[in-house]
This record gives sequence, C-alpha cells and structure tokens, in this order.
Amino acid sequence: MSVWDPPHVQVGGRIVRPYTMTGGRTSEGEQQIALEALVIATADGIRNRHRFRWESAEIIALSRKETAVIELAALLDVPIGVVKVLTGDLRDQGAVTVTDPPAEATEGEGYTDLLNKVLDGIKSL
Amino acid sequence: MESSHSDVSRLTPVKIVVAGGFGVGKTTFVGAISEIEPLRSEAIITEASEGIDDLDFETNKTMTTVAMDFGRISLKHDLVLYLFGTPGQDRFHFMWNELARGAIGAVVLVDTRRIEACFAAIDFFEKRGTPFVVAVNTFHGRRLHADQEVRDALQIDRSIPIVHCDARVRVDVQRVLVAVVEHALNRATSSAGVG
Repeated sequence: MSVWDPPHVQVGGRIVRPYTMTGGRTSEGEQQIALEALVIATADGIRNRHRFRWESAEIIALSRKETAVIELAALLDVPIGVVKVLTGDLRDQGAVTVTDPPAEATEGEGYTDLLNKVLDGIKSL
Repeated sequence: MESSHSDVSRLTPVKIVVAGGFGVGKTTFVGAISEIEPLRSEAIITEASEGIDDLDFETNKTMTTVAMDFGRISLKHDLVLYLFGTPGQDRFHFMWNELARGAIGAVVLVDTRRIEACFAAIDFFEKRGTPFVVAVNTFHGRRLHADQEVRDALQIDRSIPIVHCDARVRVDVQRVLVAVVEHALNRATSSAGVG
C-alpha cells in the first residue's frame, strides 16, 4: 500500500478532498480542542452565519445547542480533524465558544468532586 | 420552541473510553445507555506504509480513515458524559492517545472466548495510567469463566475490578460505568495521600 490515496468526503452533495475545506491545514495545531469539547454558537455567530462557508455555517447552526466536536463531525459527515480546524477558526472569530473538558488530573479535591458528581449522575440515571 | 442560546456554556463534558477487541460489543455497550443512537465519526490518519524503504519514510505515507462510535448521556450537575468506542484495529492504537486524553477512565470489554483480543487495550491503559475496569461481556447471561481465571489470563493487578455485564442491558452497562468511576475515585483519593 504505497499509493497515496486520500479519502474523499461528500459534503452537501459534493465530493471534495476533506482538507480543501480548511485550506490544507490539518488539526495538528488544534490539539487543544478535545473530541468532547462542547461548541456553542455566539449571538454574533448566529447573526453572521450567512457570511461563512457552508461547513462553518453548519457548525454554527448545529451549535445553537451545545454540541461536542465529535458530534459535529458525525452530524456533518466531515472528518474530525476538519471540524477541529473550522471550529478553531470560528472561535478565533468570536462566532462560537468552546468549553474544554476539565484538565486531566489524578488527584486534588476539585477532581474528586467532579468524579463524585459523575458517579451520582450515573447512579441516578 | 427551545430557541434560547447563550454565549456562556452551562455544561461540562467528561468522557469514558470503551475499548476491547473487534466485535466484542463496544458499540452495543455504548448504545445500551446512550440517550442518542450511537453516532459514528471519522478521523483521517496518516501512517507510514508497511514494508517500504525507511529512507523514503516521508513520502511513503498513506491516509486512512478510522471510524469511532460514540454516545452521549446527560447527567445532572450540568455534566454531559461521552462514551467513546475505540477503533478496534490494532494499527490504530495511536488514535487511542487522543481518546484517552482527559478520560475519567476506561472500560476494557472482554469476550472470554477471545480473551487475547483485549490484551492491547490493557497494555495501553496500564502504561498510560488511565484507570480502567475489565468488563466481561456475558453474552446470553452465562458466565464462562471465574473471575480468577480471567484475572490470571490478563495478568492484571489485584486492584483492578472485574465486572460482568450483558452489553445489551442498560442496567448492566450502568453498573460497569459506576465501577469505572468508583475505581477512578479510589485511585484519585489514594494517590492524593501519597508523597
């Protein structure tokens, strides 16, 4: 398998190479956006939605309600890395805000509080 | 209509990773408790081609699409829990780093008829220090092996819980998730006391 055969992605009826949506940028610089980071559109973003390209406008539309990066990728049928780049851009432009998960920790009162809340939550499902 | 939105986020996202061999029931496990039908996301990864001259390493990369399934559970206290099923194939293990980063803990789902399929997952979480439990998927409700046999086969530390579940049954999956978080809590509180 030495053939360089990038996968193609169907977006809104078009077949495109996925990273043409991001101007060829990959998500390596966007590692700080976690898969489960929650994206929510700002009032500005919603107002100016029409100014963005299709994929970005769709991210804004979907994130009127808090939606994780990985959910956006699934709902838009766009690779996760692409969604990260576009979301990072939208955040920089003030169109969305991104809530990262709590920093990884293995000790400390804050962390055990969080775990206890999660535990209570799961038990009372 | 629920059209209110806010610039200020109300929810905190947390996640638990569900790992195990191909076909062990990860997506079934996630689907049994998720409030949404499990969704599938794809990541494009670049990997070095196998069996190619190392000198040409940079040019001999292939792009591959990896799929992962996930589900979501809204918890009280403004938390939303994501459950991520790891891609099963061995060569995608390096994707696991991103999946495991920031995870509360992990479930290693085991089918005792193919117990070796979960070795890679156990190796990974042990090395990374991610708290995990072993969940034996007792298809059809039959226990095929005693806990000690499973523990011996997996060579895992005594502190790591082994639980049994039918991955199709919601309360079973709930019990496994409780075990993961309790184990993570034990680890967090015991490590806080050390040095």
